[in-house]
Amino acid sequence: MSFQAKIIITAMALVNLVFIMELLRKKKLSESYTLLWLFVIGAVIFFTWAAQFLSSLTRFFGAIAPVSTLTLLSLLFILVMLIFFSMKIYKMERRIKELVQRLALDNAKRNQHITP
Amino acid sequence: MGLRQDIDKEGAIVIPVFNEEKNLRATVEEIRRERITWDIITVDDGSTDGSRELLEKLPVTVISHPVNLGYGAAVQTGLRYAVAAGYGTVVLMDADGQHIPSEIPNLLAALEKGADIVIGSRFLGSSAGYRIPFLRRMGIKFFSALAGILGGTKIYDVTSGYQAMRRNVAQFLAEEYPVDFPDAEVIISLGLKKFRIAEIPVQFRRREHGVSMYSNPIRAFYYPFKSILASFIVLLRIIRGKN
Repeated sequence: MSFQAKIIITAMALVNLVFIMELLRKKKLSESYTLLWLFVIGAVIFFTWAAQFLSSLTRFFGAIAPVSTLTLLSLLFILVMLIFFSMKIYKMERRIKELVQRLALDNAKRNQHITP
Repeated sequence: MGLRQDIDKEGAIVIPVFNEEKNLRATVEEIRRERITWDIITVDDGSTDGSRELLEKLPVTVISHPVNLGYGAAVQTGLRYAVAAGYGTVVLMDADGQHIPSEIPNLLAALEKGADIVIGSRFLGSSAGYRIPFLRRMGIKFFSALAGILGGTKIYDVTSGYQAMRRNVAQFLAEEYPVDFPDAEVIISLGLKKFRIAEIPVQFRRREHGVSMYSNPIRAFYYPFKSILASFIVLLRIIRGKN
């Protein structure tokens, strides 16, 4: 990877870092998710500069260019995140359904007491 | 929930409602005309057309979802209410006027003969002439076969929401009920749990106002895939003892 590419990737990662921290400051992101994204940004910077480690991984994967390895790792990460967020959304859907049903049942119960 | 648990009332009619303002009054009045005195429990699933306001004026119990959750969730809320209120039997029917209240005694008579749940069918006996679009009919046949294979009970009209059930079935379904397109999944689940399922011919009417939940093309496309997947998962869960 060229030095120029490393600088660009690092700069983008740092911009993301500032963005994530800003979201946390504005209470638009929880600490737990912030930690996750900080880990991702850290990993991107690490892989960008640890050329030897990235080369070893590239050989292990049978890829030609280190950039391909980075792309593959990114895709795997995105896939895992999508599954994770699908699970989260489903869990929230179930909670919302439960809440709405309980609210509706409690209201019906209250109304029934008013007009028996 | 502890809602009037001490009273064990005979039965209730649960009606899920979503944007059925034009059909509601006629449905409720027709039930009363048939001299069916059971409580009518309506579950408004976040209607936007004035159904909820109309329900408040009718002689029915109204349960209102503040937001739309889906047909299955509305049914489940109604069942949860009926179970908590101590009803011994629950009749499930739609608000769109397709289910004819005079068939309720027939459903209950079949229940009396020993079934745990009775499905009112459009495809049996004298009702066999009920016309529905070809693709939908093929879909129903497919899911009927699937329910027969996976659940062990052959039901011809798996999509029929006109049902009468004993309290034990209502209790089971109140615990877990699919949010959307419950049809085959519920039949399979009940079959695997060894509930006695019966099916009798009943007359259906065409809906005069509004649209069916199957009329949305995206949902119609999604329906078979969801139902096939859900059917196999029900089987898997029961085999692995998760449900």
